Amino acid sequence: MLAESWVALVSERLPELWLRTGEHLMLSGVSTGAAILVGIPLGICAARIWWLRGPLIGGVGILQTIPSLAMLAILLTLLDKIGAIPAVIALILYALLPIVRNTLAGLEGVSPAVVEAACGIGMTSRQRLWLVEIPLSMPVIVAGIRTAAVLSVGIATLSAFIGAGGLGQFINRGLALSNTELILLGAVPVALLALVVDGSIAALQWGLRRKRSRDSRFRAAIDRILRPLALAMPVALVVLGCFAYFSTNTSSANPAWGPSGTDGRVIRIGTKNFTEQLILGELMAQLIEARTGLIVERRFNLGGTMICHGALKSGAIDMYAEYTGTALTAILDLSVIADPDRAHETVVREYRRRFSAEWLSPFGFNNTYAITVRKSDATSRNLQTISDLIGIAETLRAGFTAEFSERPDGYPGLRSVYGLQFREVRDLDPALMYQAIAKREVDVICAFATDGRIAAFELQPLRDDRGFFPPYQAAPVVRSEFLAVRPELRPVLDLLAGFLDDATMQRLNFEVDEKKRRPVEVAREFLEGQGLLESSN
Amino acid sequence: MISYKHVFKSFDGGKHFAVEDVCFEVHEGETLVLLGSSGCGKTTLLKLTNHLLQPTSGTIEVDGQDIARQSSISLRRRIGYVFQGIGLFPHMTVEENVAMVPRLLGWPAKKRRERAHELLGIVGLDPETYATRFPEELSGGQQQRVGVARALAADPAYLLMDEPFGALDALTRDTLQRELLALKQRLKKTIVFVTHDIFEALALGDRIAVLQGGRLEQIGKKEEILQMPATEFVRELFAKPAQQLAAYGEML
Repeated sequence: MLAESWVALVSERLPELWLRTGEHLMLSGVSTGAAILVGIPLGICAARIWWLRGPLIGGVGILQTIPSLAMLAILLTLLDKIGAIPAVIALILYALLPIVRNTLAGLEGVSPAVVEAACGIGMTSRQRLWLVEIPLSMPVIVAGIRTAAVLSVGIATLSAFIGAGGLGQFINRGLALSNTELILLGAVPVALLALVVDGSIAALQWGLRRKRSRDSRFRAAIDRILRPLALAMPVALVVLGCFAYFSTNTSSANPAWGPSGTDGRVIRIGTKNFTEQLILGELMAQLIEARTGLIVERRFNLGGTMICHGALKSGAIDMYAEYTGTALTAILDLSVIADPDRAHETVVREYRRRFSAEWLSPFGFNNTYAITVRKSDATSRNLQTISDLIGIAETLRAGFTAEFSERPDGYPGLRSVYGLQFREVRDLDPALMYQAIAKREVDVICAFATDGRIAAFELQPLRDDRGFFPPYQAAPVVRSEFLAVRPELRPVLDLLAGFLDDATMQRLNFEVDEKKRRPVEVAREFLEGQGLLESSN
Repeated sequence: MISYKHVFKSFDGGKHFAVEDVCFEVHEGETLVLLGSSGCGKTTLLKLTNHLLQPTSGTIEVDGQDIARQSSISLRRRIGYVFQGIGLFPHMTVEENVAMVPRLLGWPAKKRRERAHELLGIVGLDPETYATRFPEELSGGQQQRVGVARALAADPAYLLMDEPFGALDALTRDTLQRELLALKQRLKKTIVFVTHDIFEALALGDRIAVLQGGRLEQIGKKEEILQMPATEFVRELFAKPAQQLAAYGEML
């Protein structure tokens, strides 16, 4: 990667980088702070009350072993919320273990002779704790806090999956768009931030330590200069974090911590975490911005169907684009409906009834799953339909998205309808799936029919000759409550209805995936080209 | 006055007794040495005295009051304790260590500071030089002087000393013993002093209590014990060092 392109990228993204850094510091700072307030008392309890020790240490240990994404998903379900609150709770739970454990270790490490002396001269249990045990365990406790803080900075990247912002947003988007530069734009600052946070706490500890009278004059002189600096560092970090966070914290720029009530002036649009969703999100957002008085909050890049759906249900977002087939099978738990119109009618009816949400008219394209192989293999082995895989599937390696591996309209259904059993099935990130098949690490993938990379990577979708995959027509889904307040939303979004056919969507996806252009630009260019941005009045 | 009345202490629910049926009294203003080899129960007896340990049975009275019936916190603040492991607080300066009991008793800061400096002078440490140092910056002998100063800080009537000089070299120990004797003259404290060193016992003790296997073998003035050992054990205990000394004298 060229240095200039880096400089250009960073300077272009600087305002957002600033905002995300502020959010990131806020997420990890608030959660580490809370973990200190909870963890140290827990550690003290563990040290004092013998029967609490096992359960406490075991409990916080178990919390730590829960994979971070699973933790976020669990909290999302429990709290019925997306955004900063579940993210902060998850981070607190992770930060607890090092703090509780180190507090316990520190207290237990205090020399028995000193503890006996403290008792013997007549200290009460509380005085012993505050005057002797805690001060003497401080180095160990602070080491635990440092571990917790660094851990929080690292794990906070994952909170972008549930719309809590932070530097993870770049990583998340970079993954969704298979854009390495964007990933690095998130990852490098996170690593630096971890170092700075760790260093600041160490500096604080050093700055607060008591002077030894025997320190040499030279050391004392250095001390005089360095001590204020050491104390200034953590203060500067906190001030910087608050400033970065609050200086840019308008409700539209920073959805993560914004209010979640509906007042009909702000519409919060969500998307899942892949290219097409981001483009659709931008298309809808820009159209709404151009043609209504609504302010759009972009809560993009939520980590998957269930998170988007959960967010819509709980009112954390007002709208996102869903696919009929996905809604039928994965959300409504109904059987596959092959007829596109009937499928749409069904989801309209069921969503109204069950979720108080409204399906608008489909955009036009059908982003069905396409079982896809390399063109070269298709030619050499004469593969045209999925049935042609029968008999050779046992020799092939499949790479599917995690969602596809589990969904009834995915691999489980495919296996029973076609009787396919692949030699190996790997769960891959949607963006990595195409690279994996191009690099011959897998032989079959579950591509999306509208993905621009099918053409770009010389892949061949196989025809679904048994009609297994339901239609996956994309359409905006809006909370009924919101639509009732702003009925003008429907005609505006209907401007896009039927406007995006398979080829158009493939082309837009390709612009982003392969030409590395930003969804914002691609969407704007398309809308301008179609004359959709000019106001109708 | 401290009196022990049929004191028993067992750590294993009564199978063995670290202290067994001990009865004696410590008189006002005297230095009583608890003498015995390791494991004889002398440190246990000392810890029972300020309620760091509770007796299995029997009572201990300080100034005629059963210590089991009073707050052990305030008891401990009235009794100075010098620990075997010294036990200075490593994160506090010498001055803060010495002023700790007055601090617990709620003395104002200025008075605490004056008292700490006064005591450092009494135990032979120049306050100007040593008050702001940390324990790790002191030698073993200096640390134990601070330990003594800390025990004396609130001017307690009683001083319990658990082999305070045990870990020091012979010369330092000798100096500190002398200083303790001088201190004793000056401060008029009632001291219970634990040691396994017979010469230390003879040098410091007004009376000596010999313990063996948790039982009191004999208690009396040192002349009585030397001239009329009550048991074979006591006779042996004092005869051994005398033989060693004789052998040492011949070599010289």
